[in-house]
Amino acid sequence: MKKKKKNILFAYGWAAPSLLLILLIVIFPIIYTGYISLTNMNVYHWNNYDIIGLDNYKDALFVLDNGFIKAFGMTVLWTVVSMVLQLVLAFIIANLLNIKKLRLRNVYKTLLIFPWAMPGYVSILLWKTGMFNSQFGLLNQWMEKLGFSSVKWLNTNFLAFCCCTVVNLWLALPFMITIIDGALQSIDKSYYESALLDGASWFERTVYITIPMIRQIIAPSVVITVFTTFKQFDVIYLLTQQVGAKTGADIHTIMTYAYEKAFITNNYGYSSAISVIIFLILIAFSIVTNLKPKEEGAV
Amino acid sequence: MKRICAIGMILCILTGMLCGCGSSSLSEEEENTIVIWHDKEDAVIKVLEEQLKNTDSGIKVTFEKKSDLTESLKMVGNDPKAAPDMYLFAHDKIGVYAEMGILAPITDIIPKEELEPYMDNTIEAATYKGEIYQLPLYYETLLFMYNRLYMSDEEVPETTEELYAYMKENTKGGHYGFVEQHSTPYYAAGWINGYGGYILNQEGKPGLNQEKTVEALEYHKKFVELMPGETEYATVNTLFNEGMAHSTIAGPWLIPTVKESGMDVGVAPMPVIEASGTPISPYMGVQGIQVLKNAAETKPKAIEEVLRAWMDADVQVKLAKASGCAPANETCYELEEISSDEVVMAMKETAENAVPMPNVPEMDVMWTVAGTLLTDVNMSGKDVQESADKAQQEAENLIKSMQ
Repeated sequence: MKKKKKNILFAYGWAAPSLLLILLIVIFPIIYTGYISLTNMNVYHWNNYDIIGLDNYKDALFVLDNGFIKAFGMTVLWTVVSMVLQLVLAFIIANLLNIKKLRLRNVYKTLLIFPWAMPGYVSILLWKTGMFNSQFGLLNQWMEKLGFSSVKWLNTNFLAFCCCTVVNLWLALPFMITIIDGALQSIDKSYYESALLDGASWFERTVYITIPMIRQIIAPSVVITVFTTFKQFDVIYLLTQQVGAKTGADIHTIMTYAYEKAFITNNYGYSSAISVIIFLILIAFSIVTNLKPKEEGAV
Repeated sequence: MKRICAIGMILCILTGMLCGCGSSSLSEEEENTIVIWHDKEDAVIKVLEEQLKNTDSGIKVTFEKKSDLTESLKMVGNDPKAAPDMYLFAHDKIGVYAEMGILAPITDIIPKEELEPYMDNTIEAATYKGEIYQLPLYYETLLFMYNRLYMSDEEVPETTEELYAYMKENTKGGHYGFVEQHSTPYYAAGWINGYGGYILNQEGKPGLNQEKTVEALEYHKKFVELMPGETEYATVNTLFNEGMAHSTIAGPWLIPTVKESGMDVGVAPMPVIEASGTPISPYMGVQGIQVLKNAAETKPKAIEEVLRAWMDADVQVKLAKASGCAPANETCYELEEISSDEVVMAMKETAENAVPMPNVPEMDVMWTVAGTLLTDVNMSGKDVQESADKAQQEAENLIKSMQ
């Protein structure tokens, strides 16, 4: 018994430096943000800020008006559309990669992982200038060759939303494909053999064997991707809202909305309050997603 | 053995975390060391360094190039160990840092009378709430540029209506008579200011739905219709650089690039807006030295010496030759070597009407709001007055939430 206790102590002892590091770079900033959100730290009270209680939250919730609700709805729509497309496309591509007699499999895999290896910022701006630009973009050059008039891809809400989704897919697919590909390979081949003997079609094999088998394996990655998609900022901001390069489309997710409403004000107390609110939304969201698999497991 | 290694590692990490917490007072050597942050090109820094070599004062000046200078300064401005002693940057952030209490007025070190030779609007730009916070070196304005291959010197429009006529005639078949970053506030401000409107005044009040501002937006719109539907830097400048656009309004930094690609580029005064009789009046950015409060208190002597070295008008002449910078010192323009420089003189002429970029902290939120207003009007085709009212409301809300 004593030895066990000692062991536990030792374990914590060894883990202490990394725990300390995690505390410093993850937990501390969150707590500090919470603290700042209770102060009036801004340009006019930079060193001499006071604790002002929940005033910032009052302002934040007041500002998080219809616009915020709209942005929230947009974020949900954005997450759902992106996730559905991602899962379906990644599933199809991963299945194609697993066709038995496929040649050059590794070449395709390397090519498919490529967008993930590139810094997101670079990819996004390349898409913006290389594909969607109304003067030089590849899409408009094709349109002209085909005899259509040129299109301003990023200037209207619907088109801009589609373009953002495409770019997000380009950025996120490699990860999903890799995960699903790995999951597919972990399925015991004998299931398929017996299914074939029973005369199951490709569709039946997919629905009754593949999907149930990979679901548990890919679940954590899906949850992670849902989060990153939900708080996606770069794609939408860089494509449509970058200062000095706005395109006229008015699509906001909660992150870009919060940026335009708070972070540019240099009011750190107020911005922190908005960050904390978004943080709480994400936490609530993660609790909900964590509940679900457990229920299913129980059934 | 393993354990010793591990303990060693832990100690390393811990000391790494804790170091930087020590303290020390200023030695004589430290008093003579000056750190300057900047974001300028090498040619500019070289001229400034050369000038210091001539003084032979034993002061060691280190230049550190920071790409994210404004944000870094917000983070470390109060910390004497991490903050620089001075920084070289445009004047438009003065208000933010003065309010934060990290800047020392330049007049604490250099008496006000000695700033007499500087152009009035450079000093005006450096003034925030009655105090002068910057020693100006040079300034920048946008310029009207044209490609002589398409637009001859005689064709250069003197008024905006002439420009419009030229655009109507020449905008076809992939060519544009005139392009600019029409929906980017820094560029559109020239039209708004020239019309008598304003984005933000010196008191920090937004003027987006002022009568004159709205009229300017309405008027500007007909020009935008003859320009490409993109407002970003790369597209606009590439169009001009590739000879697809005959003329543009752009910063002096574009000139070396287009000259390199073999263009015979001309620089002309801004066209006059008929309705107001004033030329397009872009924002002026004044580049100069700001001194941090802490440094002004602990090493005033060294700082004074460095500043005085750079007040020499000769430095500004050299800067003009090295990098096309327009001198802030009025007397420079009497010299032959400056008055013969076409680009510098064009900037001087534009500067007569240019408006110093507002240096109040409120400007930080205006870039985004004004940008949204411009895209609403120019690219989404929304009603001007309605959009302007909405933007004004938005700007007022944001300014309120700054406090």
